[in-house]
Amino acid sequence: MTTVDQPAAAPARRLDIGSGSVSYFRAGSGRPVFFLHAAGGAGEWGPHHQLLSERCDLIAPDHPGFGLSDDLPEVRAMDDLVYHYLDVLDRLGLDQVDLVGASFGGWIAAELAVHSPHRVRRLALLGPAGLRLPEHPVADLFIMTPPQLLGALFHDPGIVESLLATEPGVEDILRSYRDLGALARFGWKPYLSNPKLEGRLRRISAPTRVVAAEHDRIIPRAHCERYAAAIPDAELVVVDDCGHALYGERPDAVTAAVTDFLAD
Amino acid sequence: MKFNFFHLMPYPYLPEDFDDVEKYPSMSLTFSNSHFDPAKGVDLYHRYLDELEYADELGYDGIVVNEHHQSGYGMMPSPNVMAAALARRTSRSKIMVLGNAIPLRGNPLRVAEEIAMLDHLTRGRLVSGFVRGIGWEHYAHSVSPADSRSRFNEAHDLIKKAWTTEGPFQWIGEHYEYRYVNVWPRPLQSPHPPIAVPGAGSPETMRWVAENRYMYVSVYAPTKVVKTWFDGYRKAAADLGYEPDPDNIALATPVFIGESERSAMREARQHVEWLFHKGLRQGAEIVFPPGYMSAPAMRGLLKAGMKPYPELSFEELVEQGYVIVGGPESVRNRIGELRDELGFGQMMTMLAMGDMSAEMTRRNTEIFATEVIPHFRTEQARETPPVVLAQA
Repeated sequence: MTTVDQPAAAPARRLDIGSGSVSYFRAGSGRPVFFLHAAGGAGEWGPHHQLLSERCDLIAPDHPGFGLSDDLPEVRAMDDLVYHYLDVLDRLGLDQVDLVGASFGGWIAAELAVHSPHRVRRLALLGPAGLRLPEHPVADLFIMTPPQLLGALFHDPGIVESLLATEPGVEDILRSYRDLGALARFGWKPYLSNPKLEGRLRRISAPTRVVAAEHDRIIPRAHCERYAAAIPDAELVVVDDCGHALYGERPDAVTAAVTDFLAD
Repeated sequence: MKFNFFHLMPYPYLPEDFDDVEKYPSMSLTFSNSHFDPAKGVDLYHRYLDELEYADELGYDGIVVNEHHQSGYGMMPSPNVMAAALARRTSRSKIMVLGNAIPLRGNPLRVAEEIAMLDHLTRGRLVSGFVRGIGWEHYAHSVSPADSRSRFNEAHDLIKKAWTTEGPFQWIGEHYEYRYVNVWPRPLQSPHPPIAVPGAGSPETMRWVAENRYMYVSVYAPTKVVKTWFDGYRKAAADLGYEPDPDNIALATPVFIGESERSAMREARQHVEWLFHKGLRQGAEIVFPPGYMSAPAMRGLLKAGMKPYPELSFEELVEQGYVIVGGPESVRNRIGELRDELGFGQMMTMLAMGDMSAEMTRRNTEIFATEVIPHFRTEQARETPPVVLAQA
């Protein structure tokens, strides 16, 4: 794979894998950064992609069943996703990457780093899911109405209001129903977590930054704190005035928290 | 035509402020069971079973129970328990369990065993329905909606094989694994009790039910939508090279039959509104949780553009055919028209609806049995009076 020098609005590419193919963005140059998206917004080039691609070789795939990727029904659970991404890294010839994951993608990133610590140079987890902390339950995304979900994702009510101002079309509804359906495949039960993950985080050898939103109403701060405590070389930073949407709400600040860390 | 008496066993004693939809977004899943009064519950169960038994006495072809979880809309988490209670207290009607929500079961062989037992208890009067369970029940029993269809398919295949193949045999599937499948008892009916499956427009379900030649049962919908479902089922059968027996197409609908047209419309309103505005108050997020519907089925649903039930007025519910309301003559005529238009051979009539009193339910059940059912009996069936009225 060759890298693209012109990063603006990178076209989606396809990689044949498993029973179909996945979609991914690749743009920029420099050290490879493998970016694993959150449950929402897959398939769209966003400001965070732009900002990352200005500083590194950004590789941002859509998970199976999300965005523009095929369903790949054989990828049934988190362990399958880990092997899926090991295959993707192999296919793209990426021996070692800076690994960044947000929310659901943060969970995948942590699992990947546990499985193959040597393939991760630096790890950034943004509001990661994945831990089972019964005393700090994760909000039930599946049962929320769209207004409830947006209200919980963003700290700034102005953003919620503007997002709710336009009535979604049939295709928009189908797209988000598909993304959430794929999330249900991997995270209905145990709910967005692997009960064994926390005990395995000690395997992660990469320097790690956990980025928490100041006002996370989906995944309580305690999850970020437990990640930072359980990963041997980890630090916790907090982005002010921000909800769980993180790069969807404050792309500049959240991306800076990642790129500053990766630049070291 | 066959007429079956379908009971949901609702819990009608709602708090006075139940119309507050912010406080009570649904009667299911999140409606606290602190509102369930066991002293009322015990009377309700016995009353409802009496009503089903009475339908058997009146000559209904079948009496129907179903499964719902964590809901005041229907109080039968185990329909098999209700079927067992009815088995030895009735003697004529089919007992239709519509149905067991097999994807929700951790161990589907339990369903194979219970249905086989019920087949013997009823001396072969059992009809075994299989359902996926409504979306909210996947929250209630913690089963991923994304696995719902494949669990349904595998549980069905396993149960059917357990009924029809001499054991022991081994089952190794995606969701279930058994080294020894060898259910005792085997069912009485051969090769197994008739199977019925409800559908709500999913093309996969139509095709699957047609492939298996099972009974396809509608759910609440406007007549014009039900027509597309039944047509889809017939088309799926035609593609497989056969024409389905009308007995394998069943219209499920609430029916209120008054003494006259006018009194029926007046009396029915409250109960129809209870069912659709309270009982069926449920957001899309709990009815169709992510993963529950395939992309084509979801697309079909969005394109059908059906309003949520609570947004339909009583008049719309009647006009669009969600419910049948009228005096004896108009109900007879309406059913005849619907039969001709939709081509069904069975009806699942919900004559006990929402907060209807025991007296009103009894009257509704009786008038339907005396004024409607005989009209649709074949000549042969008419020779034996189907209706035995204790005190009409």
